[in-house]
Amino acid sequence: MSDDDSGEGLRAQGLAALDRLVDATAAERIAISLASLGFAIIVGTVLVFVSGFVAECRDPFIYLPGLGFGCYNPLEVYWTMFIGSFGSMTDIGQTLLQTTLLLFTGLSVAVAFRAGLFNIGTQGQMVLGALATALVVLELAAYVPDNAAGMLIVIPVGVVVGGIVGGFWGMIPGLMKAYANAHEVITTIMLNFVAIGIAFWLVQVHVGDLTTDSVQTESVPAVARLPATISGSRFSVIALIGALLVAVGIYLLYKRTVIGYDLRTSGIQESAAEYGGVNAKRNIVTSMTLSGVLGGIAGAIYVMMVQYRWQAGIPPLGFDGIAVSILAGNNPIGVIPAALLFGSLKTGSVAVDLSLGVPGELVEVLRGLIILFIAMPEFFRMIGKRFGYGNGSVVTDGGEA
Amino acid sequence: MKAPSVTRRQGLLIGGILFGLITLGLLIDGGGQLIGDVAGVFSVSYLASAIRLTVPIAFAAMGGIFAEKTGVINIGLEGLLIIGAFGAVASLYALSATPIGANIWLAFVLAIVASTIVALLFAIVCIEFKADQIIAGLAVWLIALGFAPFASIIIWRRTSSPSVGTFSTISIPGLSALPSIGPLFEATPPVFLLALAVPFSWYLLNRTTFGMWIEASGEDPKSLDTAGVDVRKVRYAGVLLSGVYCGIGGAGLALNTGQFVGSGDTMIDGRGWIGLTAYLIGNYNPVGAFLASFLFAGLEALQLQLQQIAGYDVSSTLVGIIPYVAVLIVLTFVGRTRMPSAAGEHYDSDE
Repeated sequence: MSDDDSGEGLRAQGLAALDRLVDATAAERIAISLASLGFAIIVGTVLVFVSGFVAECRDPFIYLPGLGFGCYNPLEVYWTMFIGSFGSMTDIGQTLLQTTLLLFTGLSVAVAFRAGLFNIGTQGQMVLGALATALVVLELAAYVPDNAAGMLIVIPVGVVVGGIVGGFWGMIPGLMKAYANAHEVITTIMLNFVAIGIAFWLVQVHVGDLTTDSVQTESVPAVARLPATISGSRFSVIALIGALLVAVGIYLLYKRTVIGYDLRTSGIQESAAEYGGVNAKRNIVTSMTLSGVLGGIAGAIYVMMVQYRWQAGIPPLGFDGIAVSILAGNNPIGVIPAALLFGSLKTGSVAVDLSLGVPGELVEVLRGLIILFIAMPEFFRMIGKRFGYGNGSVVTDGGEA
Repeated sequence: MKAPSVTRRQGLLIGGILFGLITLGLLIDGGGQLIGDVAGVFSVSYLASAIRLTVPIAFAAMGGIFAEKTGVINIGLEGLLIIGAFGAVASLYALSATPIGANIWLAFVLAIVASTIVALLFAIVCIEFKADQIIAGLAVWLIALGFAPFASIIIWRRTSSPSVGTFSTISIPGLSALPSIGPLFEATPPVFLLALAVPFSWYLLNRTTFGMWIEASGEDPKSLDTAGVDVRKVRYAGVLLSGVYCGIGGAGLALNTGQFVGSGDTMIDGRGWIGLTAYLIGNYNPVGAFLASFLFAGLEALQLQLQQIAGYDVSSTLVGIIPYVAVLIVLTFVGRTRMPSAAGEHYDSDE
């Protein structure tokens, strides 16, 4: 009997949650994000389970008559992913390292989104920013002492250079949008390819380490490397603190300042902003530039904390940033947990690949699924309505068990 | 209907491409001599290889036109091409283990079915669940980009497949025996399909009732609805057509190569995005989109040939970014490509 009672209580809570999912606007975004995450994980589970029947392995986990042997246990996959990202200090370091980079790329996308602009170009801004940082710190390191004082000069300069170059590359689609009305989605996608092509060509033919066959610059010296905080990982807590401060700073910029307000309205309601005496065109350019600066800084941190050089095939952190930002509802503070989640997914996928043989590309599929589900809030509203919750339909039998 | 003529847009594009070629000539050693060698490259075999490279780009472009004309912007073309290419190779590989055997045409059809199913899901997400089309299209690309190498590793233990067999060339009797231009009539089936698809798409869009519905669905869905045509059905048809076209394009590329390559950006390598640029430059006209696709594929073929015969150190990377630079120039300086006015918007009929 008492079981039934607590069941009723839970059900009432569940009802309330669903009602909020359907009606409330404030909590809605968080609920949709969590629901999308849940649905993406469900689809991912099915994918892993089914592909286990195609893959070959020594000790299968399940046998289904007619289907054969299944190799992968989805629960084990997710558990391994969790342990692989938080199981040891080194793992935590790797997770936080990814989180730091994703904070910058996620904020880059979020800043543009806040202004109603969809910056898919973070990847290109990051790649060019990273190259500029690598080249400048390689030059600069020769002129500074090889100690902490040198580091205090080289690393800030590296960050600034990455930000400037990324900002410049972000400004281009901003100008095209503001003055030529070219859709920023198209231009930023195209500029990604152009940026990656130019960087590759420069490094391969001109500025790279021409003594090796791989397309890369020389390795940056110790004075340009962020000091590692946790042994076994290159993660530096300085970069993480910097990223968190930027997140809070951007939150305050939009929440508390007139500039932030103008930036938002300019992208969303250009004519209204102009009517209010705001130079909307300039603000569109500013938003895209700021977005590019953050993408460029992500590249600078990548060089000085992760790879210690520019190397062809920089991971798609810019695209991950889109998922992070969308999952966070484009809220700068929300970007923090979203970046942590994706950071642990990325780190955990390495462990899943190594110990279970499930391809790490699984995370890329999950990333796409999360974006897809969040893109359709109507899907969740319909689910809510189908079960009779929300104001869209009359709740006639809401109390029936 | 206007007679085809060189518009300002096209003139500018051709100028831009020529400028790109000249710049390219200056970037490499012996730029002067290059011009002469380029002229030597333009042979029938060069044209044949350019047309072969046009297949995935032009099919993606025409598919994109159908979807966007109905009002659904499909930026997932790249993802659909990846599904088509992977689907073709995986089907052929799987079929060879069955009693049916490695039937290349069946694999081709299965790939088109796979791509169309993904397009159907995209259509449901956009039309029923009113998803943001740009974000959903992006998701289609990112999912395909992750799924194809994921599944490749599951099946073949690495991101690329082994060789599974290619389409054999068909020659058109009579025409292929013609002097000098004969080789153009010896090609693989996807090339001939492209030759049929371009006029077919143009005819469908400009001369049929269905084409009028497509136009109206993207420009003025309200009056289409008033006329008693279901806007949703027209939009489904447009998106599904883009799935069929991308399936043909992706499968055509993979079955011409005989292998699926899943590393990096996969073997599709941005061809879906170039297709998108091609139809923007071609201003939503299948013939214009084909010509732009052919131009971009021609550049790719030119660079491949120059590397072979002249031993030039042409940077394939720089040639590769020319289409993207071209579309940026067109979008910025030639003016906005005229999108269908209701593209990207949901349509609710008042029932």
